[in-house]
Amino acid sequence: MHGIFYDEVHDEIVVPVALGGAVLTLPGDAAGDAPPKRVLQGPKTGIVQPDTIFVDLKHDELIVESGDDAVLVFPRDAQGDVAPSRRIGGPNSGVNNIYGLATGLDCIVVANRVESGGRASDDAILVFDRLGNGDPKPKTKISGPHTGIIKIRQVFVDEERGLIFATIKNNFEAYNYADPRPSPWDPNKTGFIGVWSIDDNGDVPPRGVIKGPATGLVWPAGVAINAKNQEIYAIDSVSNALFMFKVPEFFVKAPGSNGLWR
Amino acid sequence: MRRLVVASAGLLLFSLASRPGDPPEGTICPLPNAPSGLEARLLAIERENGCLELPGTELADSAVLQASSVPDSPLWPPGWDKATIAGGDIQPARVVLDPYPTLHSVVVDAERDKVFMSDPNRHALWSYDRLAASKGKELVEPLTGIRGPSTGMMFVAAVTIDRERQEIFSVDNDIGDRMMVFPYDANGNMKPKRVLDVPHQAWGLSIAPERDELAVTVESSRQIVIYRRAAEGHEAPLRTIRGPNTGLGDPHGVFFDGQNNEIVVANHGNQGGRQPAPGDAPARQRGTRVSEPQPIVGGRFDEPSITVYAADTKGDVAPLRKIQGAKTGLNWPMAIDVDRTRNEIVVANNGDSSIRIFRRTDTGDVAPLRVIKGPRTGIVGPMGVAYDLKNSEIWVANYGDHTALVFPIAARGDVAPKRMLRNAPAGSPTVGFGNPGAVAYDTKRDEILVPN
Repeated sequence: MHGIFYDEVHDEIVVPVALGGAVLTLPGDAAGDAPPKRVLQGPKTGIVQPDTIFVDLKHDELIVESGDDAVLVFPRDAQGDVAPSRRIGGPNSGVNNIYGLATGLDCIVVANRVESGGRASDDAILVFDRLGNGDPKPKTKISGPHTGIIKIRQVFVDEERGLIFATIKNNFEAYNYADPRPSPWDPNKTGFIGVWSIDDNGDVPPRGVIKGPATGLVWPAGVAINAKNQEIYAIDSVSNALFMFKVPEFFVKAPGSNGLWR
Repeated sequence: MRRLVVASAGLLLFSLASRPGDPPEGTICPLPNAPSGLEARLLAIERENGCLELPGTELADSAVLQASSVPDSPLWPPGWDKATIAGGDIQPARVVLDPYPTLHSVVVDAERDKVFMSDPNRHALWSYDRLAASKGKELVEPLTGIRGPSTGMMFVAAVTIDRERQEIFSVDNDIGDRMMVFPYDANGNMKPKRVLDVPHQAWGLSIAPERDELAVTVESSRQIVIYRRAAEGHEAPLRTIRGPNTGLGDPHGVFFDGQNNEIVVANHGNQGGRQPAPGDAPARQRGTRVSEPQPIVGGRFDEPSITVYAADTKGDVAPLRKIQGAKTGLNWPMAIDVDRTRNEIVVANNGDSSIRIFRRTDTGDVAPLRVIKGPRTGIVGPMGVAYDLKNSEIWVANYGDHTALVFPIAARGDVAPKRMLRNAPAGSPTVGFGNPGAVAYDTKRDEILVPN
């Protein structure tokens, strides 16, 4: 599983099961071999190999990555074999190989992967109108060399401060056996947590970053925030470690729209 | 006291809040209260692994990075030196990690008294003396450890050996997509003898010396791929078993039986939403497009099974036999091995922390001949299992504990192992992370949720 959401309103844990083409909803206190409360699975769902999900608690909707280059929107409590209420996908949308989803401020935020060969990519944060359906163009696209976005993973929207938190692996895995000292890694390109405003657009640097040797991050794949404790949690898929960062400055809401964040 | 609870479906939950008086449920997280030596050990390991060698990146600890504090270095994307960016190179306040190896698969060379185990936590292959055992709480030092950037090892899964040529084989699972071959005496950070590209999410690996072939199982594309034993580079497989009639569902452990000319596979039963491509056509990989993708048929959770195929078969063929059903007790069957003298299949049944032994020729909904299970056995989330037929023993690699266990080959029930090999001091927590890809915060319980 490469996705998870905790629903604090209904005290539920929602996970995608990529290998079973399903989304499971478990009780918040589930432990051991607990059965799911709901299973969303079947041909009508369009769910093929979901890697990531998100729950829009404000609008009571479940957002699912199809595993097939599309964003599917269901009622939050959908179960069984039901068709999605909306779908975003197609050439105008640019949606491709989704590795993260989030909602907030009437938007759907997509962590989009487009590998263009070698160590190049057109990975992006795509922001769609929440009610987008069919093949719409994204409202904004954060992408380009100044963003540092290469191999993006889980994203999260902090609605209160209007921020997008994103995990960036920043390193292609490539092993050239003929090299005298081959390594799958470019050690100069370890991953990071990047923070953008939801209003950002284009090839812009992040407004906040957790990056560098002291962080311990190598290939961060997941991010969550605890605003109350002013903490950011990052899971790393190479270090096999969970890092907890205390970053008060990321939780300061700047007044008006001219501050650090908005 | 920090608390770690292992929950369903591979979820790990970490409690943030202190709960005085709570019993020590599960294991205790090593940080931040543990000695700083653990953290130092991890960082040393990762530096050795080449992941933390970042010269010239001495940044401010925190606060807003002004232009002057971002080095003019290729380590940082263009334009960041002119931007105002909060944060920076911040030390984590707390870390949850496991500085010790996590055992995945195991294989025994009884003639040379060596045991080899794979370790996806620290991306390594370890060898031990066959008779090495912990007498108390101490760990056993390995004979050799293959790890580091030159090895190419990432999220390693199965390990097997070519006893005749004294070679160790291992495959990368969700990162890496490679099979690597090392000599028995390999140690440290060294290149493999050869490397073979294998499909994404390879898990199981087995060599049939009689046929000079090897079989690799692949999870999401639900296939068995057969190569020449000595295949390397981008070499294509000899044949592939794949398609809706095969009954393959999220296959894991595999045994290539060159004597009976069969391939035995352990299936978790997960079926993805798109029908697997039948036959030998290349399977669709994530992030790639094909002109005519297979139809969407909807995901399914079939019952776990052991399926058996003719060794020469290929394409979308039905299994010769299938062990499946409530009586089998199969639950997340991982590695398997076959004893051709006794005609038995041994299964590491991860889901209920048991070892299950079936007749090699069983089919249908049959109960196992024997089950090794219970608190005395010390079996916790077994991932690897292997026969040592010369010494009439069964080896078990615990993924849920820092131990490997050795049982008599005829063991059954709730019995203590003959020997236990610890790879960490007794009581060391086993965090259980394996290529984790997401995280969530449970605001109600003040816990962090991590899916594996």
